Amino acid sequence: MKETDYKVTLSLIVNGETRNVRVLPQRLLSDVLREDLGLTGTHVGCEHGVCGACTVLVDGAPARSCLTFAVQMEGHEITTVESVARDGELSPLQQALHEEHGLQCGFCTPGIVMTFEAYLKENPTPSTTEIRDVLSGNLCRCTGYQNIVAAILKAAATLREKGVE
Amino acid sequence: MTREENFTHIGKPLLRKEDRRLLTGHGRFLDDVVLPGALHVCFVRAPHAHARIAAIDTSAAVDMSGVVGVFTGRDLAEWTTKLRLAPPIEGLQPVEMTTLPVDRVRFYGDPVACVVAEDRYAAEDAAEVVSVEYVALDCVTDTDAALADGAPLVDETLPSNLVSQQSFSSGNPAARRADAHAVVEARFNLHRHTHVPLETRGCAADWDAGRAHLTMHIGTQTPHPLRSQLASRLRLAENQVTVISPDVGGGFGQKIALYREELTVAALSRHLERPVHWREDRLENLTAASHARECHCRTRTAVDPEGRILGLELELMEDFGAYCFYPANYMARVVAMILTGPYRISDYAFEVKVALTNKCGNGPMRAPMAVTSWIMDGTIEAIARQLGLDPLDVRRINALTQDDLPYTMATGEVLEDITPLETLEAAASKIDVAAFRKRQAEARKQGRFLGLGFCSVVESTTYGSAFYKAAGIPGSGHEAAWVRIEPSGAVNASVGLMGTGQGYETPLAQAVAEGLGVPPDLVNVQMGHTDIAPYGMGSRGGRGATAGGGTLYLCARKAQERVLTIAACMLNLNEPTNLRLHDGQVERMLDGRWQCTGVALADVAKRAYLEPTSLPEGISPGLDVSLTYDPPPMTYSNATHACEVEVEIATGRVSIDRYVVTEDCGTVLNPVVVRGQQQGAVAMGLSGALFEQVIYDESGQNLTATLADYLVATACELPDFEIFPMNTPNRRTPAGIKGMSEGGVMGSIGSVALAVSDALAPFGVVVEQLPISPQSLRTALRGKRPETGEKERME
Ligand code: FES
Ligand code: FES
Repeated sequence: MKETDYKVTLSLIVNGETRNVRVLPQRLLSDVLREDLGLTGTHVGCEHGVCGACTVLVDGAPARSCLTFAVQMEGHEITTVESVARDGELSPLQQALHEEHGLQCGFCTPGIVMTFEAYLKENPTPSTTEIRDVLSGNLCRCTGYQNIVAAILKAAATLREKGVE
Repeated sequence: MTREENFTHIGKPLLRKEDRRLLTGHGRFLDDVVLPGALHVCFVRAPHAHARIAAIDTSAAVDMSGVVGVFTGRDLAEWTTKLRLAPPIEGLQPVEMTTLPVDRVRFYGDPVACVVAEDRYAAEDAAEVVSVEYVALDCVTDTDAALADGAPLVDETLPSNLVSQQSFSSGNPAARRADAHAVVEARFNLHRHTHVPLETRGCAADWDAGRAHLTMHIGTQTPHPLRSQLASRLRLAENQVTVISPDVGGGFGQKIALYREELTVAALSRHLERPVHWREDRLENLTAASHARECHCRTRTAVDPEGRILGLELELMEDFGAYCFYPANYMARVVAMILTGPYRISDYAFEVKVALTNKCGNGPMRAPMAVTSWIMDGTIEAIARQLGLDPLDVRRINALTQDDLPYTMATGEVLEDITPLETLEAAASKIDVAAFRKRQAEARKQGRFLGLGFCSVVESTTYGSAFYKAAGIPGSGHEAAWVRIEPSGAVNASVGLMGTGQGYETPLAQAVAEGLGVPPDLVNVQMGHTDIAPYGMGSRGGRGATAGGGTLYLCARKAQERVLTIAACMLNLNEPTNLRLHDGQVERMLDGRWQCTGVALADVAKRAYLEPTSLPEGISPGLDVSLTYDPPPMTYSNATHACEVEVEIATGRVSIDRYVVTEDCGTVLNPVVVRGQQQGAVAMGLSGALFEQVIYDESGQNLTATLADYLVATACELPDFEIFPMNTPNRRTPAGIKGMSEGGVMGSIGSVALAVSDALAPFGVVVEQLPISPQSLRTALRGKRPETGEKERME
C-alpha cells in the first residue's frame, strides 16, 4: 500500500478560515500549520512539550501544537500568531514587547505572544509573580525574561485603558 | 583613531528594526525556507559511547515508501575531504576527522548513516530500521579515566588522550610561594554545558547541477568562513558556493563550525541533484551538536599578610569530548591568558591540559572563558577566608587602578581604558554591603542563610588578527564592510557579521548613520548572504560592535567624504572642508554655525550615478564605498557583578534576591540592545550555574537528552537585573567601541557561586563544583551544623 492511501482529509478552522488538508494521521498540528498551511510563525523548539515555542490557541486556550495531532483538531478553532496583528497594527502585547525589548532572536516570541494574548483576557491585572509563573511554560534563551515581564505588565495596562475607553 | 564624544546616532536607545517581522510570525528561520522538491534527511546515531561499526544493513530502510537512499560514512568519504586541524601550536596534537565515522563511533549520538526521503516523517521512520551492528569498546567518560595508563584511545591516531598541553610561567611564582606569608589553594570545577539555542541547527542545501553551484541555507554566525569550509571539503571552488543565513534563533557559539551533518546534507544535494533539507531535533541538539565548558581548575596563590597576591599558579584540565571542531586549546587558552584580569599579578604560571573523552565534542559557548572570573575572584575569597580578611579589601588591595594603566598582564596582554576598581566600588555601594551584613546576621539568628557574592570581570572582546597570529590559530579578526548610496539616496550597507538574535540591524544602522550623516531608519544593513556581504569573519568573541560596527562606521565616514567632495563641486566650492552631511542634508559651516546648503544626499546621488560627466575631476561615477578594518588584537571591557542569595538549608534551594551589575563596555552603539545582551548573558550564566548540566553515565550514555532533563532556567528562577552602565571609551577603536555580551556569563557564574559559599560559611561549606543543584548542596550540608550556635532548623 502506498503512503498516500493512509492519508485523511481534514477540515480545520485556522485564524477564522476553513482550511482543508490531506495528511497522514500521525501528522502533528505544528507540522500541518507550518508545512501544509504555510503558517511558519508557529515555531518548533523541542517537539516534546517543554519549550512552548509551538504554542497556539485552540478554542481560545493555549495549547502545544507539537503535542497535538492535527486530526484531533477538527471542529476546533485554531489561532496562530499570524492573526494577532490586525491590518498591520501590532496588538498591545506585541507593541509592548517591541517597546520593552522583550525579544531578541524572536524564536520563542510567537509562543509567548499566544500564551499571553489568552492570559491577559483571563487576568487583566496580573502581578509580576503571576506573569512569571505563566511565562515559565515558555523558554527563552536570549532575554533573561526581565523585559518580557515588563512588556506583559505594560500590555496589561494598555489593555485595561483601552477597555475603559 | 578618531575620537568623537558627541554622537548624533551612536548611543541612542532606538528600538529594533527586526521586531515587527518576528512579532507577527513573519521572521524567516531555516525551517521556514521551503525549496521546491526538497528531500529530507534523518541521521542514524550511535547508541554507544565507543564502538566499532561492524556492518550497516540499509536494505529494509531503502525499501520503505518515500525513501530515496541511505548513505554512510563510506559514501561521504568519497564525496568530501577530511577535516584536518593541525595548527602549529606547541603541545597540540594534530587531528583529522572524516565527514561521518567510517568504522568507529566515539560518542553516544555520533552519526553513522543518513536516510534521505521525500519527507521528514518517512526519513525518521526509515532511520529506525537501519540496522547497524556494533562491537562495543571500552570508553572513557572523564578526564581521570582518559589520562589513566592504558586508557582506551578516543582517537586512535594519537599517542594518548591528552590532545593538548601548554604551560607558561612569568616571573617566579615558585620562589614567591617559598617566601610567602601563606599559600592559599582553591578548586573550581565547572560542569558540562550545552548551548540550547531555541532554534536547533539545520540547513537546506540546493545544488544547481546546470551551473555547478551550491546554495546553502543555514543559520550561521560566520557565513564566509563557513563557505570557505564547505567549498574546500566538497572540493569546490569558493565561487561555486553561496551561503545564505536566514533569521537565526540563537547561536551562542554553536553555529560557527561546519558540522558533519551539514556537510553531509550539502554533499547529498550535490550527489542526488535535488535540494536536501535537514532540521535537527532537540534530542540531537542536546546530545550531538556541541557541548562546552567542562573543566577542572586549581589555583595556588602566594600572599602577604594583607592578602596581596605575590604569585599565582593555575592548573586547568578541560574535558573536550570526542571530536575537535576547534583546536583543542582554543577555549582553555583564553582562560589562562586573561585569568589575572582585574588584579595586579606579575608572577604567574599556568599548566593547561585538554583531554579527549567519549562525549560530544566541545566548542566555544557564550563566554568560552566563562570560568575565568569565578576562578580569580574565588581565589580572592579563599585568600580572605584563610587570612581572616574582608574579601572586598583583598580585592581592593590587588585591584588595578588608573595609575597602573596601561597594564601589561603577565601573559603579555595589555589592559587599558578599563575601570576594575571603579566598577567594584560602584557595585559595593549599590549593594550597601554594611546593610547587607546586618541583614545577614539577623537572618542567621533565625536560621535563614543569606549570602553575597562579588565577581569582577575583565572580558576579552573583539580578537583582532594579531591575536590569531600570536595564538597560532588559522583565521583572522579583521572585518569588511561596504556602504552604497543608491541613485535615489537610499542607503544600503553590509558587513561580514551575522546576528543570531542580538539585534544587529538597528545598532549597525546607527553606526552607518553616524559615519555617513543620515537618519538610521534610512539605512538598510544586509547581512548573512555571502554573495552580498563582503568576506568578513562573522560573529563570535564579542566582536560585533568593534569589528562590525567599527568597520561600518569607518566605511560610512569614507562614503561621507565622497559625498561631500561631489557636493562641494555642486556648490561651486573648491574644497569640501567646511561641509558635513547631517540628516541627509549637506550643511556648510558659516559664521560659526552649520547652515543648510539646499543640497540633499539624494541630489548628490543623482549626480554621482546619472550625471557622471559633471563630477569633479578624479571622482569616478557611483557612490559605492568599501573598506576593511583590523581592530586591535584585543579590546577589554570590565564589570563587577554582585549577587544576593538565600539558601534554604532543608531543601538546598537557592533563590536570588538581588542582582547588580556595574559594567564598563565603552561607547555603546545602542543601549537598548546592549542592555538586552547584558541581561541575556547573566541569565545564561545563572541558568548554567544553578540548573543546566549535561550528564553521562559511566557507560557514556547521555542522560540529558530532553529539555525536561537538561534544565534551562525559566522566568520563575531568574531575578530582575539591576544594570548600571559606566562607559569609558577605548582609545584605539573607531568611536571608542569595545565588545561585550559574554562578560555577563563570566560574572554571574562567579558571583552566584561565591554568594552561595558566603551563605553557607557558617557550615564551613565552600562551593567548588557547579552546578549548585539542591542535591549537591544537600550532600555538602549533610551532617553539618552552622557555627552561629543557632540550631539549624529543619534537619
Ligand atoms: S516545540 Fe512544542 S513545546 Fe517545544
Ligand atoms: S528571544 Fe531568543 S529564545 Fe527568546
